[in-house]
Amino acid sequence: MSALFHVVETELLASLVGQLLELVRDHPTDSEHRDDPLAAVLGGVGVDDPGRPSDPVLLRLFPDAYRDDDEAASDFRRFTERGLREKKAAFAATVLASLATADQAGEAYRDEQQREKVKIHLDSNEAEAWLRTLTDLRLALGTRLGVEEGDEDHWEALADDDPRRHVHDVYQWLGFVQETLVRALGS
Amino acid sequence: MVTAPVELERPDADEVTAQETPWVTVVWNDPVNLMSYVTYVFQTYFGYAKKKAERLMLDVHEKGKAAVSSGSREEMERDVEAMHSYGLWATMQKAGD
Repeated sequence: MSALFHVVETELLASLVGQLLELVRDHPTDSEHRDDPLAAVLGGVGVDDPGRPSDPVLLRLFPDAYRDDDEAASDFRRFTERGLREKKAAFAATVLASLATADQAGEAYRDEQQREKVKIHLDSNEAEAWLRTLTDLRLALGTRLGVEEGDEDHWEALADDDPRRHVHDVYQWLGFVQETLVRALGS
Repeated sequence: MVTAPVELERPDADEVTAQETPWVTVVWNDPVNLMSYVTYVFQTYFGYAKKKAERLMLDVHEKGKAAVSSGSREEMERDVEAMHSYGLWATMQKAGD
């Protein structure tokens, strides 16, 4: 399948996915930076290892598997979180690679307007990577924004110069992109 | 031929119950995931027909949660891990809990 984007959109996606990749990669507490408090802060994660993440975004990406059993939840996390991180990182990397390849497509056009368009071809593996990564991006942004069910009015009411409004617009746009992709995969 | 008497080890009553009690995977509603995506995950991962996947998705959406699969503890851990890899929020518990 193929998708058509404006170059501004692909640049935005590349930026966001790059940040996601950094977020889900094995965090400093698993490596030699364990004793470096600065590394922990930059990593944006809690110093627990392999405890429940204190960062709400990471907690949403890697939730507890048991509601009322901290020990079982901790065991489950110890066994699965690393694998989940690697999986998500791999999907994000696939998306970045597909964006990087597409970058060159627009250069063939003479027309200024056409050159701003970017066509991305996705095979089934890449489509899956996009689907998963879009989900993770939306979870990250949605958690940071604190979106809630049926809160559209709240976002509509924000002042135009409120920076959160822009982030929410991006969040909504990602939802639109994902919806389109799900429909294309379903047909 | 002589057969020696065999002492059968009778399983502990609690042990039997624990082995037979099925576990369930519960998916919880969240304000981020698209209904179309959740339905897609249920179809793709569990292999459910579209109608069933939609029914489960609506249960999650309207009731706040739904049991989407059942089986042994190991099986449910695999399902929960898969749900997390898809970005859904899932937990597991003993059936009837």
